[in-house]
Order: sequence, then C-alpha cells, then structure tokens
Amino acid sequence: MTTLEEAFGDPYDDGNPLGHRSVLAADERAAVADGAEAVLDDYGLNAEFVPERLGGRLVEVDELVRRLRPVFRRDAALGLGYGVTSLMAGLNVWLGGSDVQRKWLADLLLGGGKASVGYHELDRGNDLSNNAFTATRTDDGFLLSGRKEVINNAARADAAVLFARTGETGGGRDHSLLLVDLHQLDPDRFRRLPRYRTHGLRGVGLSGFEFDGCAAPDSALVGDLGAGGDLALRSFQVSRCVMAGTGLGILDAGLFATLRFALERKLYGQAVADLPHARATLVDAFTDLLTADALVTTATRALHVLPAHASAYAAATKYLVPTLLEEAMNSLSVVLGARFYLREGAYAGFGKHMRDLPPLGIGHAGGVSCQLTLLPQLARLLRKRADPAPVELFAAGAPLPDLDLAGLRLFAPSGDPLLAELAGTRMAPHLADLTAEAAALPARDTGVAAPPAALGLTDRYAVLLAAAAVTGYARHNPTPGGWADRALERLADRLAPAPALPGPANEALFADLLDRATTGHGLGLDRDPVTRTLA
Amino acid sequence: MTATQSQSDTRIPTDIADWLTERVASYLDTDADSIDRDLPLAEYGLDSVYALSLCGDIEDTLGLVVEPTLAWDYPTVTAMAEFLRAEVGA
Repeated sequence: MTTLEEAFGDPYDDGNPLGHRSVLAADERAAVADGAEAVLDDYGLNAEFVPERLGGRLVEVDELVRRLRPVFRRDAALGLGYGVTSLMAGLNVWLGGSDVQRKWLADLLLGGGKASVGYHELDRGNDLSNNAFTATRTDDGFLLSGRKEVINNAARADAAVLFARTGETGGGRDHSLLLVDLHQLDPDRFRRLPRYRTHGLRGVGLSGFEFDGCAAPDSALVGDLGAGGDLALRSFQVSRCVMAGTGLGILDAGLFATLRFALERKLYGQAVADLPHARATLVDAFTDLLTADALVTTATRALHVLPAHASAYAAATKYLVPTLLEEAMNSLSVVLGARFYLREGAYAGFGKHMRDLPPLGIGHAGGVSCQLTLLPQLARLLRKRADPAPVELFAAGAPLPDLDLAGLRLFAPSGDPLLAELAGTRMAPHLADLTAEAAALPARDTGVAAPPAALGLTDRYAVLLAAAAVTGYARHNPTPGGWADRALERLADRLAPAPALPGPANEALFADLLDRATTGHGLGLDRDPVTRTLA
Repeated sequence: MTATQSQSDTRIPTDIADWLTERVASYLDTDADSIDRDLPLAEYGLDSVYALSLCGDIEDTLGLVVEPTLAWDYPTVTAMAEFLRAEVGA
C-alpha cells in the first residue's frame, strides 16, 4: 500500500498537484487542493476513526495520531475538513451507542460518509452546560429546536451527533446526545446554515444546522436520556489528545520550511542557519516539537494504560501542546523574516500553517476551558505520590491494552503515576512547590471565577507533566543526543520567574535536525519517513 | 435486620449528611445552618466544578471512589447522603 507521504509527494515540487503551490492556491479560494480528498478516500482515512471490531483500523490512539501526521504536514484544513470531526462524533457512539447505532455509523464512515459533531453554539462557546439547542420528548421520539454553529462539514455531512438540552433540573443530567441521519430529516424543519469565513483553516467547510421543531426518532438517543454530559466528557479525553497531536504535523512542516530557508538563504556572507540566533531558534523549536510529541504520545498511551488518570492528562495536553507549538512557530517566523509574511513563493506555506494552528488550540475546548477542568482536581492530583507508571506508557512500540472508553473517568484519582517520574529530578522541587500552593487554594477559587493566579497553577502542572513525559520517554527509548536535558531546561525556564537567555545552539541537536531533513525523515520522536526535499 | 446493622444504619446517615452539609457550606463560604438539605445544590450555584471537589472529599473521607455524576443523580444533600450511606454500608 502506498503511504500517505508517498501519495502526497514532495510539497516543494512545483509540478506536484498536491504540493504547496496547489495547497496555497486552493487556500486562497477557501478550498483544499483538487485531488487531495481523493488521496484520503483511496487510503480509506475514515477507517482510522472506526474501531477494529466494527470493521475499521482504530486500535491505538497513539498510532492514530501518527497516521494523521502526513495530512497535517501538508494541509491542516484537509485533515480537519476531511474528517477528524467524524472521529469526534464517532467516539460518542462507540462509547455510548447501541449496537445498531455503532454499526450504522461505522458502515457510514467506512463507506466514505461524513459525520458532524454538534456541540458548539456561538453564544455559549465552551459553556456546554448552558447549551440552548433543545430536544423535546414526544410519544415516539424528539422534536429538535435551535442552532448548532461553526460546525465542520455541516453542509455535506450524512450524520450528526448533537448535544441537546433534554431537561431543566439544573444539574448535569440536563443534556443528551442524539445521533441523527441528516438525510431523513424534514427539509421544511431542518436547514444547513451558510458557511462561516475564517482567518485560518480556510479550506474547512464550517457552517451549521438550524432545527425548527424537527422530528427525530426515539432510536436517535445515544445512551441514556441525560447522559450527554457524561458521554461527552469521556469521549473528549480521546479527541482532545488527538486534536493536540494533529498540531505536531504543522510544526514539523513549519520547522522543516524554516530550516530549508535558513540553509538556502545567504545573508552577511553566510547561510542564515550559521547565524547563532537563527541556529539556536531552530534547535529550540526542534526541542519543543519533541517535547510536545512526548506529551501527546504519553497522554494518548495513557488512554490505554492509565484510563482512570486520562482526564487530567488530556486536559493538560490540549492546553499546553498548542501553546508550545504556537510559540515555536512564532519564534521560527522571525528566522523567515519577510518571507513569513508573503502569501506567495516557496515559503508561503509557513504563513498558512501559522494561520491554521491557533484553531487547534481554540477549537474543541479552548485552553482556559482545559485549565478549568484541571483546577478543581489539582490539589488532590498532587497530594499523594504514586508508584511510577508501567513501562508500556513510555516504551514506543510496546503493545497497549485495548482502548476501553467506558474505563475513562471524569476526574482522576489522587496520586499521579506520571508525575512519579519526577522523583529525584531537578523538577522535584517545582513539584513540591506546586503541591503546597494547590493545597492552600480554597475551593471557591477553583471554579470558573478562579483568579488568574489560580489558573497559573494549572499551567505549572501541565509543564511538570510534560517534564515527566520527557523523562519517562527518554528513560525507555533512544532519543536525539542532548534533547532530554535541553527539553527539561526549557520546561524549567517556563516555571522560573525570569527565564534564562538562550545560549548557543546545541550542535548535536542541530546535526540531528539537519540529518533528518537531508535524509527524508520526520522531526518527531519516531523519525518517520517523509517525502520532501531541501533546496 | 440485626441490631448491629440497625445501629450503623442510624449512625452513618446522620454523620454523612452533617458532613456533606459542612463541605457544601465551606465551598459556599457560609454556615452549615444556612444550607437547606432538600434543595438541589445547583440552586446554590454549585456547578460541575464543585462536583469535582466533592468527589475528592468523598474519596478521601469515606474511601469511596465516585464520579462527579453523583451530584447530577443525587442533587440534594439528603439524596446524596442516602446514596452514600448505602454505599458505605455495602
């Protein structure tokens, strides 16, 4: 089977119909490159979203993230628009649906169909518990009323999972999930809304649904009435990790582009890559990409290995990884200089990648929303020390236990096996400080009205989790020489009141980066084969 | 029902309800006396965030592993205490 990397080919080949030139021209038209979706159809990308027992290829979430990477290296709009939202919809059904619903949606996706996921309402953002879209019980089903807005693929989806208010008791049992066949709805009472224009991800068809007393059958209900919040908070744990993981492909592409430019471009009589500041920036971005990869890899493997703890890891990952990636892209843009701002030429793809990255942080639970998930649990998470995590959490390629979505918990028990990696390291005093400060936090400061200083504690928690992921990964796998030390140094800098000024680039890491770029290997932890060329 | 069970049945629910009321009052920064045990906690503005804190307290104090959905399914102090009493007794 042709890999996706081979099928998409070299983005820097101007004759490649799926290369940067075509991707950018399509982006200007708010579309994806002609033929790009056909590549994903041929590969059967939807099968990656369907569990193996239902006929798909979804087994390990860690592997799913790596299989999506070639797509996000080329065009995040293609990856997201083609169907990562089908995964988000599907997870709810794989977790809570009936056998009939699971089979129906699995067959639909395996046949190339698309599913939208309808959580979002513009007026409510991440405030899910106040969602207004309503499903009113009737004798034989529901009447749907209201709007779901800025929904991927709403214009062309065959199915949708909708988060609907079904009660008014004021607790967490007021919402339910419904799986509807959009082709079976009364066209007089259901319409697809016009497309929204966006700053990034311009090729993604974001629109919405409007329902006006539209009937849906009883069989649409996913799980129990009132189980919507419960199911959503479990399936989010998987999809948040995956969303964060897709961003790795974007930074991988952005870092390669900047390196390519820095090797090619001559300034002051030398290549830009030989200027100390540029070289250090490249190496630091490489370091942070690997750090983000370590956190994503650990969080996705934890879904299998430590499901009871996964809610905290997923929230921390969805908060910190987009932040790390965006900061790295910002730093790299300085090396590209004016090229970064041009919407044409060989490096215009960098600007597009940069526009496409923020929605991965904002979409599907914004950073603050993830911090608010962590804050009320923080004191308990930190209070007890746990035994270190089992080796398969870190060892790349070690077989993982089956993904048991029902085993995911809404909040993690006390005692964190991942943070146990930090015992005896330079991070241990930071962990002790954070533990004490979290313990001193009154409960009233852990809700949505939390003061900024309290939210800052969750940032430090996420940074320490990343440090633990780096430490654990490096302990069990071969890693680029000097990376783990430099990664921990940079994470410690994030915890310090005044970060140290960067020193000269680590030459071993620069050599590793250059070797990968020259030999067609990816810039992540697994050094996967990549089709792209230096100038 | 034996006398021992009966005794523990009368002792634990009182403790748990008192204890829950005291926890709720501390989240709200108010006195235990001002909490109506039959009013849904949501009416006091206790949202899902407090449900998480409450789960932690329950796990630490009663040794029960519960999900925040507990607060959704047993929305009042009285209902929750009754459920917890049964769980502790089990």
